[in-house]
Amino acid sequence: MNIRSALSVSFLLRLVFIMAMFMLLFIIGISFKHTDSLSKSSEFLVHSYKIQLELEQLLSTIKDAESGQRGFIINNDSIFLKPYKNGLKKVNVLFESLKGMTASQVQQRANLEDLRHLINMRFTYLTNSLALISVAGGNQLLGENMLKGNAKMDSIRLQINKMADLEISSFKKHQEKYNKEISFTPLITLLMLLFSVLVFILAFIKINKDLTVLKNSNEKLLISTESIKHAEKIGEFCTSIWDLKTNKIFFSDNLYRLLGCEPHSFEPTLENYLKFVHPEDRKIVGVKIEDILDKHSTYPRYYRIIRKDGQERYFKAVGKFIAEDSENNMHLNVMEDITKQHWNSLNLKERNRELEQSNKELAYFNQVASHDLQEPLRKIQTIISIIKEREFTNMTETGMDYFIRIQTSVSRMRKLIDDLLLFSRTNKIDKTFEQSDLNLILNNTLLELSALIEEKNAVIQSDQLPLLKVIPFQINQLFQNLLSNSLKYSKPDIAPVIKVEYERILADDYPALKINANKIYGKITLTDNGIGFEQHYAEQIFDVFKRLHTFSKYQGTGIGLSICKKIVENHSGYIFAEGKPGIGAVFTIFLPAE
Amino acid sequence: MYIMLADDDEDDRLFFKEAFEAIKIFTIVKSANDGVELMEYLSGNGNTLPDILFLDLNMPRKSGMECLMDIKRMDHLKEIPIAIYSTSASEQDIENTFVKGANIYIKKPNDFGKLKKLLEEVIKMNWHYQTSGLNRDSFLLSL
Repeated sequence: MNIRSALSVSFLLRLVFIMAMFMLLFIIGISFKHTDSLSKSSEFLVHSYKIQLELEQLLSTIKDAESGQRGFIINNDSIFLKPYKNGLKKVNVLFESLKGMTASQVQQRANLEDLRHLINMRFTYLTNSLALISVAGGNQLLGENMLKGNAKMDSIRLQINKMADLEISSFKKHQEKYNKEISFTPLITLLMLLFSVLVFILAFIKINKDLTVLKNSNEKLLISTESIKHAEKIGEFCTSIWDLKTNKIFFSDNLYRLLGCEPHSFEPTLENYLKFVHPEDRKIVGVKIEDILDKHSTYPRYYRIIRKDGQERYFKAVGKFIAEDSENNMHLNVMEDITKQHWNSLNLKERNRELEQSNKELAYFNQVASHDLQEPLRKIQTIISIIKEREFTNMTETGMDYFIRIQTSVSRMRKLIDDLLLFSRTNKIDKTFEQSDLNLILNNTLLELSALIEEKNAVIQSDQLPLLKVIPFQINQLFQNLLSNSLKYSKPDIAPVIKVEYERILADDYPALKINANKIYGKITLTDNGIGFEQHYAEQIFDVFKRLHTFSKYQGTGIGLSICKKIVENHSGYIFAEGKPGIGAVFTIFLPAE
Repeated sequence: MYIMLADDDEDDRLFFKEAFEAIKIFTIVKSANDGVELMEYLSGNGNTLPDILFLDLNMPRKSGMECLMDIKRMDHLKEIPIAIYSTSASEQDIENTFVKGANIYIKKPNDFGKLKKLLEEVIKMNWHYQTSGLNRDSFLLSL
């Protein structure tokens, strides 16, 4: 799973949650404000009623004082003057209270002052009325005074009503404003709440989805971790990860196993690992691990490990920086137990050495067999020729016969040695392959064989041959050997006809061509009308010194076809022979043509 | 004509002398048994230098190749025509001796008649032509 995308998902979720959080905070704020204004509104209401109540009380106090005075006037009992006397005090108290309550209301305050003035005047009339009672003949004046007082009383009532109306209207205004607010906020709150719920639901779905993805990737991770563990076990390798930031090293389970320990049986540190490294090789590991930082250390490196049980094992280590972020701060090491391969390669080297040795011996044997044997042989031949020149005529008939036999045998031995030498020299080493025109090579061969061809009165027909990458002189040798073979084994009474044919073929169409790297071959066939051979000799004729005829009938060393086979094999090709006694032989050569 | 052969093989020295005796040209044949002996003779005061020197390659103590290189380094010897006379006819030997300045290469034949013919050819050669023109193609003498 992509780490980057996982990170972005969690970032998105975080953003959604933060948004939802802000919305909730907003809703809380609105609710608080709403509640606050509700309580303010009720306070306002109480305040307003209180003022109205006080005003009512004020009015009733004045009324009481008025009616008390009336009672006194009628009954002339001073007990009726009590409300009047108390009224003045009570009015003062009420005024003070009202003053305090209307402190913030400018208009009401002015109204209150007017009211106060009116009430004072009313009380002045009352006081005047009382004074007039005691004065004789003041009935006329008393009546007037009382009428004026009643008029004032009406003004007071009006003023109080005005004030009450003002309170009611200001409360109504407040209520209107409140209602406006209150009718607006619940909708917003509801919408916000719904939106928040929606966001939470979406977030929940997303989290759920992410969790499923996480679970799946977790499963995959688990499987891959497990398979890595198994792979390490099967493949006999282990890993360590070195975090350069924290300087901590992680060792895989198999690392412990390869050291012959239980997993996690010791602290994963470089020092502890070095304890298992062969003392002579510690420098390789120790020095190189320090070199890691310069990022130029060489891989792979090879060192020995001494396991807990004392067994010596061979390790191959490779390492690489793996990018966690932009900086390379993790170093991955993969160690492989190559003990088996190590011994195998040692065995191989040993066998290679033996082979080289035996090859050398063979070459030396060849040298001896051909060169050193040739030396005395040459002398024998020279002496034979001297004797033949100077002493031959002195010999008896039988002596001459024996002498000729000696000469023939020696010649044959020389031929054998020469051919053997040629055979042993026919190898691939130091020979260069060149793109060559086989037509030119064949023409050259025909030129070399021209005397024999003429002698046998032979006809050689050839197809157009291809350009192939070959060792030219070896192909020349191949043609020469095959053609001279056909000429040699021709029928005595019929002129030899040899057909050279060419075809480009696919290896798949010829089961005899074992599966190998080459797919396209040039197929060259040489067909003659000679004496042929029994098909069951088809493979044997390529063996060294294998001859199907007595020497006296057909001379030869039995090496020619062996050389042909060797040449073809040098070219990664194939050669097959097909014979029909009395009809002829077909030699088929397949040479790689890619 | 003064001819010299350096060859460790007694039989070959014998054939060589016999062949020259059979050729109807007056020659004096002098032989050395190995390279050291040859160089001692050539460096000796008052010794007659050969008109043609036949040099076997494979000799004990000092090989024909070493002799060839020594001779070509010495001013009073380097003009002597040198014919390599060896059992081997390997490309490598032929190439090396040619490069080092030998004049002709003869592979020891296995027939006395052929030997006579080869030697006759060699001594009849126009050495001025053979030494000046250094011809790789005609270096190996064959019949």
